[in-house]
Amino acid sequence: MPENELVEGLGLDEYQYGFVDDEEHVFRTRPGLDEDIVRQISKHKDEPEWMLEFRLKALKIYERKPMPTWGGDLSDLEATLDEIYFYVKPQEQMERSWDDVPDTIKTTFERLGIPDAEQKLLAGVGAQYESEMVYHSLKEEWSSQGVIFDSIEDGLKNHPELFREHFASIIPAADNKFAALNSAVWSGGSFVYVPRGVELKTPLQAYFRVNQERMGQFERTLIIIDEGAQAHYIEGCTAPVYSTESFHSGVIEIVLKKDARFRYTTIQNWSNNMYNLVTQRAVVNENATMEWLDGNLGSKLTMKYPSCYLVGEGAHGDIMSIAYASDGQHQDTGGKVVHVAPNTTSSITSKSISKGHGRSSYRGLCKVYEGAINARSNVECDALLIDATSRTDTYPYIEIEEKRSSVGHEATVSRVGDAQLFYLMSRGLTQEEAMALIVRGFIEPIAKELPLEYAVELNRLIELEMEGSVG
Amino acid sequence: MSNPSQAVEAPDADEDTPSSLDEGTLESISEDAPSWLSERRRHAWSVFEDTPLPSTRSEEWRYTDVSRVLDFADLRLTTHGALAENGSLPPGLAAAMDEDHAASGHTLLIDGAVVHVDLEPALAEQGVVLTSLKSAVDEHGDLLEELLATEVVPEEGKFQALNTALWTDGVLLYVPPNVKLDLPIHATRWLSDAASAVCTRTLIVAETGSQVSYVEELLSGDFERRTLVSSAVEVIARDGAQVQCVSIQRLGRGAFCQSAQRTLAYRDATLDTLNVNLGASVSRLDLNARLLGPGAHSNMLGLYFGDEDQHFDHNTSQDHVAPDTGSDLLYKGALDESSRAAFRGIIRVHPDAQRTDAYQTNRNLLLSDEARADSLPNLEIEADDVKCSHGASVGQLDSEALFYLLSRGLSQQQAERLVVLGFLGDVMTRLPLSGVVAKVTRAIERKLKSV
Repeated sequence: MPENELVEGLGLDEYQYGFVDDEEHVFRTRPGLDEDIVRQISKHKDEPEWMLEFRLKALKIYERKPMPTWGGDLSDLEATLDEIYFYVKPQEQMERSWDDVPDTIKTTFERLGIPDAEQKLLAGVGAQYESEMVYHSLKEEWSSQGVIFDSIEDGLKNHPELFREHFASIIPAADNKFAALNSAVWSGGSFVYVPRGVELKTPLQAYFRVNQERMGQFERTLIIIDEGAQAHYIEGCTAPVYSTESFHSGVIEIVLKKDARFRYTTIQNWSNNMYNLVTQRAVVNENATMEWLDGNLGSKLTMKYPSCYLVGEGAHGDIMSIAYASDGQHQDTGGKVVHVAPNTTSSITSKSISKGHGRSSYRGLCKVYEGAINARSNVECDALLIDATSRTDTYPYIEIEEKRSSVGHEATVSRVGDAQLFYLMSRGLTQEEAMALIVRGFIEPIAKELPLEYAVELNRLIELEMEGSVG
Repeated sequence: MSNPSQAVEAPDADEDTPSSLDEGTLESISEDAPSWLSERRRHAWSVFEDTPLPSTRSEEWRYTDVSRVLDFADLRLTTHGALAENGSLPPGLAAAMDEDHAASGHTLLIDGAVVHVDLEPALAEQGVVLTSLKSAVDEHGDLLEELLATEVVPEEGKFQALNTALWTDGVLLYVPPNVKLDLPIHATRWLSDAASAVCTRTLIVAETGSQVSYVEELLSGDFERRTLVSSAVEVIARDGAQVQCVSIQRLGRGAFCQSAQRTLAYRDATLDTLNVNLGASVSRLDLNARLLGPGAHSNMLGLYFGDEDQHFDHNTSQDHVAPDTGSDLLYKGALDESSRAAFRGIIRVHPDAQRTDAYQTNRNLLLSDEARADSLPNLEIEADDVKCSHGASVGQLDSEALFYLLSRGLSQQQAERLVVLGFLGDVMTRLPLSGVVAKVTRAIERKLKSV
């Protein structure tokens, strides 16, 4: 299908995911958060005692830790947190067959094109609506080889030992305030295990949708890629546009065993009233390769810094990130690479675009511990400013304790050059087309890594956003 | 040209006794001061008392734990300058000053006081002022009231507040409109008093179209007890002025060298700084360059070379306030043994500062397994028509360059020294002051040999 038709087929407009379904749920907690709420969540999930204890301990940590004073403006968040629903259960149980998903929810995900994509392109699909996974399926081809792709709740029920071995081992509750919050009230998310030597040929995909107004979504994902295994996981996020603020705070833990290879792709397109504060971290063992591909287009404020802890000799980490901040948006994103073992390598490539009153900030860490001999890391950040009111910041932290290592960081900030625009317009393009073309060229090195349907969506979004941006 | 090393008078030995950092000391040094000054001191003191000790939890002090390297309660303020009784100079000081014959003027500070000033008479006739701050309070009161402690202010932090409250002396350099000094002004500071706090300030005002360079060198022996050497430097370059400020820090071990500097460059002014840090146990630099008029430009250069457990912390900022301004920062350092350096720099492009050109580079060479370098080159950009870039790197000696030198018959040590010197020397090529380049190169070579 030619690209144009595909785009029309997607029926994109300004924020095409802004539609609202009628609120239907089988249970939700009262707004706000206290110990009782945490107990209710745990009870509804019929959890073992140790998990309830873990949640309650995390709640104490959350209450003790102060709000971060760096990054984005969180001054309104405390008030927002008092009013949101921390747990909304949309249906009694998760379905394995698409036909059994309730009609309203089904319609939502059909409008997002999910069952269609599953048939064509994906090894497995999970869909989360409010606080719970409503649908999870994995192709027979993969389940027969021992691949597990389940909701996190079923991971805990059906694989308790594997679950408990890794859960919160990479991101402990005390890691940061929002990891503590997630640890207390987590609900939904995926549990993935790819056994030794199994190579998934097509991606696993998870969709996250928040429909309820004033809702907090706290998905928790645990992914274990065993020795020599390979997989690719994609998550997409959308929500309706409400006048009040919503909140999403995920925790994603990933373990890559020796020689494993894994890519985690996020296309975050939350509505512009969403706080999106996510902790994502991968522990990368000997000769394994972890790739984060992080696209942040939506939300009011995103603070997200995917991390690679390179703990095994020869481990490699790659972080590619695109941020797009328009009016009222602040994308505070970046990445962290921590070199612990010898001969580890990493690269961070960040491209950000700020338009209107938007602000995009790159915040990153490159740390080389003593003993990480021959560690090599390279960080490149490019920022593009569209309007005089746009803002961009770069905050890289470089901490080097090992002499036999090599680390470099480069960043540039530029605007779309008048000469570039003039040239393209002299070739017959309108100003908007010329602007969109230049911006697309700017993000191309990362966009080309995206799965096709997302690359197309990104391009289309940029075209739309560029309308009327010149002059 | 007079040579200050033969012209120093012994100060009165019993002038003052050192006093603790408290309100009583504040009152005694405020005695006889004009009211604007004692008010400024008292305000600064109250800010000092209200400001907690910098914590590593704050971004600006992330890499230096002051509570572990300094205890204000141990320190006594040194208000006077004490030489040996016969008035002769310590050998290290005399040798350093002997390098500075080619100068427009000299000033010598011993501990907390200026003990010598000389200035070319022709320049004095044209209205150039080089004097101790203490005497300037009477002689140039209006100028000081207008400008002194208006840029490096107590609100900037605990040390700035302490210095503003308790400064005992310092240097005023004033260059009238269109007066151009061909040779630099040399200031030499010698510290002798262990367990003391020495607080001095520098105020440099270069009027429209003037030209001046100011080279300061800090020297001391080793201290057995922690000694605080605190400086506050304010430099103003009015329209079209060209100013260069160089600071060469060669203090002995045991010193905590703290320097807060702010430079203001107005329309078409050029204001360059070079900070060379070789000495002291702990050295902290806060440098803020403000580009306030169209056409203003600042080169900001830095060099550091650490050994043993030396700790250097650089905190720089480039504020582009007016449009069409430029700044270019290059800080390079080599770190041997268990020495450690941190660099935190920020370029801020304010909303009206269109067509800003701003660059920032920090490069580190780790020479030993125990050395450590941290680098945070930040950008905050609020205008769209700008060219900004920054870069940071940490690496080891260029093995090809080493191999080449070894193949030409140099020893490993000679080759390493040469490569380090080449790495650092790159900074000095940007500084068009031949006398200063030679002086800095000698200082680095001296340190290289001792390693």
